[in-house]
Amino acid sequence: MSATRPPARVERREALVEARDVRLSFGATPALRGASLAVARGEILAVMGPSGSGKSTLLHCLAGILVPDSGEIVFAGQRVDTLGEEDRSTLRREHFGFVFQFGQLVPELTAEENVALPLLLGGARRAKALGEARRWFDELDLEGLGGRRSGELSGGQAQRVALARGLVAHPQVLFADEPTGSLESLNGEHVMDLLVAAARQQGTTVVVVTHEPRVAAYADREIVVRDGKVTSLSADPVPS
Amino acid sequence: MIRLALRLTLNGGREAAVRLAVTSAAVALGVGLLLVAPAGMNALNAQNARTAWLNSGPLPGIVNAPGSPLRGHSTSSAKPLWWLLRTDHFGNQTIYQVDVAATGPGSPVPSGIPRLPGPGQFYASPALSRLLWSTPANELTDRFPGHQIGIIGPTALPSPSSLIIVVGDSAQQLSKVPGAAQITSINTNANIGGIAGGFHTSMLQTILAVGVLALLLPVLVFIGTAARLAAARREQRFAAMRLVGATPRQIAVISTVEASIAALCGVAIGFGLFYGIRPALTNVAFTGQRFAPGDLSLGPIDVVVVAIGVPIAAAVSARFAMRRALISPLGVSRRVTPPAPRAYRLAPLVAGIGELVYFVVVGHPKSTGGQTWAYLSGGFLIIAGLVVAGPWLTMVGARSTARRAQRPAALLAGRRLADNPSGAFRTISGLIIALFAASASVGVLTTILAYGGTAKGGTVASETLLEELGHVASVGVNGHRPPATATTTTKTAVPPALLGELASIPNVRGATVVYSEPGAGQDSSAGLVLCSQLAHTPAIGTCAAGADIGRLSGLNPFPSGQHPTLSEHVWPAVDITPQQLRDLSPRAIVVQTNGSTAALERARTDLEVAFPDQQQTPATFGEIDASDRRTITEVQQIAHVVIVASLIIAGCSLAVSVTAGISDRKRPFSLLRLAGAPLRVLRRMVVLEAAVPLLVISVFSAGLGFLAAGLFLSSQLGYSLRPPGIDYYLLVLGGIVASLAIIASTLPLIERIAGPEVARNE
Amino acid sequence: MFLYECSFGLLGLLEREPSHGYDLKRDYDAYFGRDKPLPFGQVYATLARPARDGKVTPGEVEPGAGPERKRYAITEVGRSEVEEWLTEPVEPEPHLQTVLFVKVVLALMLGRSAERYLDTQRSAHLQRMRELTELKRSGSLVDALLADHGLFHLEADLRWIGLTSARLGALAEAVQS
Repeated sequence: MSATRPPARVERREALVEARDVRLSFGATPALRGASLAVARGEILAVMGPSGSGKSTLLHCLAGILVPDSGEIVFAGQRVDTLGEEDRSTLRREHFGFVFQFGQLVPELTAEENVALPLLLGGARRAKALGEARRWFDELDLEGLGGRRSGELSGGQAQRVALARGLVAHPQVLFADEPTGSLESLNGEHVMDLLVAAARQQGTTVVVVTHEPRVAAYADREIVVRDGKVTSLSADPVPS
Repeated sequence: MIRLALRLTLNGGREAAVRLAVTSAAVALGVGLLLVAPAGMNALNAQNARTAWLNSGPLPGIVNAPGSPLRGHSTSSAKPLWWLLRTDHFGNQTIYQVDVAATGPGSPVPSGIPRLPGPGQFYASPALSRLLWSTPANELTDRFPGHQIGIIGPTALPSPSSLIIVVGDSAQQLSKVPGAAQITSINTNANIGGIAGGFHTSMLQTILAVGVLALLLPVLVFIGTAARLAAARREQRFAAMRLVGATPRQIAVISTVEASIAALCGVAIGFGLFYGIRPALTNVAFTGQRFAPGDLSLGPIDVVVVAIGVPIAAAVSARFAMRRALISPLGVSRRVTPPAPRAYRLAPLVAGIGELVYFVVVGHPKSTGGQTWAYLSGGFLIIAGLVVAGPWLTMVGARSTARRAQRPAALLAGRRLADNPSGAFRTISGLIIALFAASASVGVLTTILAYGGTAKGGTVASETLLEELGHVASVGVNGHRPPATATTTTKTAVPPALLGELASIPNVRGATVVYSEPGAGQDSSAGLVLCSQLAHTPAIGTCAAGADIGRLSGLNPFPSGQHPTLSEHVWPAVDITPQQLRDLSPRAIVVQTNGSTAALERARTDLEVAFPDQQQTPATFGEIDASDRRTITEVQQIAHVVIVASLIIAGCSLAVSVTAGISDRKRPFSLLRLAGAPLRVLRRMVVLEAAVPLLVISVFSAGLGFLAAGLFLSSQLGYSLRPPGIDYYLLVLGGIVASLAIIASTLPLIERIAGPEVARNE
Repeated sequence: MFLYECSFGLLGLLEREPSHGYDLKRDYDAYFGRDKPLPFGQVYATLARPARDGKVTPGEVEPGAGPERKRYAITEVGRSEVEEWLTEPVEPEPHLQTVLFVKVVLALMLGRSAERYLDTQRSAHLQRMRELTELKRSGSLVDALLADHGLFHLEADLRWIGLTSARLGALAEAVQS
């Protein structure tokens, strides 16, 4: 598929997802100590950092999975951290997609049903939802695997199913956390290729947490999270 | 949404199917139990309704002068009916004999027979008819004058195996028999007390209700255990759904649907279970007689309430559980150790014991209602306290085990228990409650029986017949001592041939006539006997050496407390001559046999033929005893059934829980094995984890049960606790051994599950 | 290229403190030249050019014989050139470990923020990797193979950068003692 890249020199674009001075602690352990970040619409951002730095936690906050202790999370101009559990769940379903490293597929459902899940949760008719889901199977080299359960898929296949699920509802933002973490090189490359291509085609914003430079190299820009703070020079969408 | 839920529940792979099956089975057990309660009530009511007519006569022990009606409102011009109910015995069965005599046309006729039998006629129940045909005449049929003209219909039979006979008499004959009364209508009020049923039944109903409730507790624990199966998998599934944006409400809907489906399946199976077990249940003689086939029936309301109520309850409780446990989209990745139970958990237990101690010190409340409230509240506090304090006790035990552990298995088991003591205790909580209930009820019943005394002279109880003559019996039915009345009776003479005839029956040792003491009042229980006769009936004692005439102080064969058994008495001599003795009026005849049915029944028949107009039929000491203790024996029976059933259910629960625990820990076990832990360490660990809390808390709860029983007995009855019989120990030991066996039987699973290939990085 | 890094290495050492040629060689060997000790002649030869350009001053000759007794010191010009060299990222080509290494140790020695430098280098590496990745996706298979080769080496550098970044504290202590 053809890949359109954003122009090399960018004008100031407004941030689609933002974190402002976010702090979060798990019990006595602080995970985020005032992290700030802005992601522009349509860009692919890599979030890097050593393990334990809080990058996954930052992603969870941006995606409305966790609520920070203080600070703001803003999506499309709306505060996310002040929403209730029900509203944040709905937000995730309608506007976000997720590709995580493990344990994200429902074991009892077939691959097709897993991909259709966000649509089904949104109240779509079963036939329609499955039809949408099936379209993605060919796009992502998953022909014929629709009827399998997640336990019967290989690692790479499972990740591509997760990717399909993440994209099936045409989300505004795709959140990925170590999407290739448990895959070996070729599979991992394959997933990243497909992910970036699909995102570019639909103009989806992508936030990828990774510790692997070769995965980060697929992104337009990277930031570094260290000790709960965003420390990279290029934290701002406008490269200095 | 619901379609999705259905899809997940019904077609969700092997683990989901197992969970559905086990939960349905658990619910089915509960439903079956729930159905037994109303069915049992209905059966008791039905049986009672069919017994009502037998109680048309006066209340037991109250003798009315012939001619005074006691029952029934005087209706129109219907002529009253002479009526006398007596209990007779054959073998170890009771025969109800109703003598009736009409005073004119239009006398009331009991249901079940087309008309009243005339003199020389009788109707017999089907079971009694069979018995009459199959038994030698001199053992049974000779007792009843006349011939059988028909069979009593089922509407008048409390039980298909009831032995009832309605004997016709002439009015002037029957009017002379003490205890006979005129009635104007047949009793249909099932709640009036009587020889057969009444008060007795309402107590049975209470006991039935309590028994069912007691069984429901282990079933609820079982259902809870089943619901926790595959918990990790479900949490993963829900977490994945929450990640892609399922709201907590949607998750709750799915969970509710799952629970409802399991409940619906369980209800269906439960109904099947109930109808399958109904025939067996019908034949169990809870009231001493088994039920008629249609008795254990369910009214339409019962069916509707259970069929609809159980799924609703399941749905509601699932929703409630979901509300408390908010599934995070990040699933089980972050496992937080639950906080350790604190010592204040002991509070309800201490409060319950304290309450019972208070009643020992201060004395029990005056009213029955107050007593019920006091002891029930104390009992519930203790049971609830046991459940609440269990995790704390487990944790304390586990920590000390781990501290003192010499070997790795003990250390692993101890730490794991200390980490999640609530989970470990939940596994055995059903068993613990069952043991507590068993110990408490056994303690109470054994002590009551011990104090009431039994004619456990053993064989003496079943060998010796006692026929009271003339007066009202000094030991009444159901233990009521009847008030003395002003009735005078004519002196009953002993037919001269009787003693010879009795002696001629093979296997009869002898017969003794007991004469009233001259000058003694109606209330006196003393009697005089010929020592030569007494020598052949040592069951009621022996004469002092060299005496001709002995004086008995009483014929109560049931020692209580310090009184020695009757047979141990040496009666003092009395200074009268045998000739003078024979002029006194006889008050009783005692016949001692070797206990064989033939001899006993022949002797009984001879006595009945000789003395046809006595209010009490000849009965062995054992039979008199049995009728007094009928209630307690039945309660004991029900208690045993409840205990065994609850041990079984708790055992199932334990099995499911331990198996689930092993399969949940596939990965840690494999890793341990890979790290070099030998299989026997793993096995020992699993056994210790389940067995240590089981044994420790079992002993604790059994001890608690006895403590509660002792406190109750002490405050309510002033008794001190007696140790239980061997069957209790066997039961408890059996329960614990079975549990250990269940735990041991899951050990092969470890080997299968903890293979190194499971630890592959998936 | 060796000359290039060698000269900056010596310059950097001089910025730390003025030294004799002998001491310079000794220090250089200790920090940078474990496998390949610097020949004496190389030191003076390397310093000749910067001396001529005014970046170092030879200083007064101490009493005693021989050129090794010259005491070199760095000038302002030299100082700013070292600064520039340090802050500028190196071209992300393979086989630049030695340069990176020298830079980090010098930065620590001179009390600069090695952290910042590493971050800048990482950005440059990632930018290069981005270009190579784009090449991989749009080019032929042979191009992809070449790009992968480059990517792996760049990744290796980045791993070193990550590790060093984590060790900076301990490393600073060791170097400055």
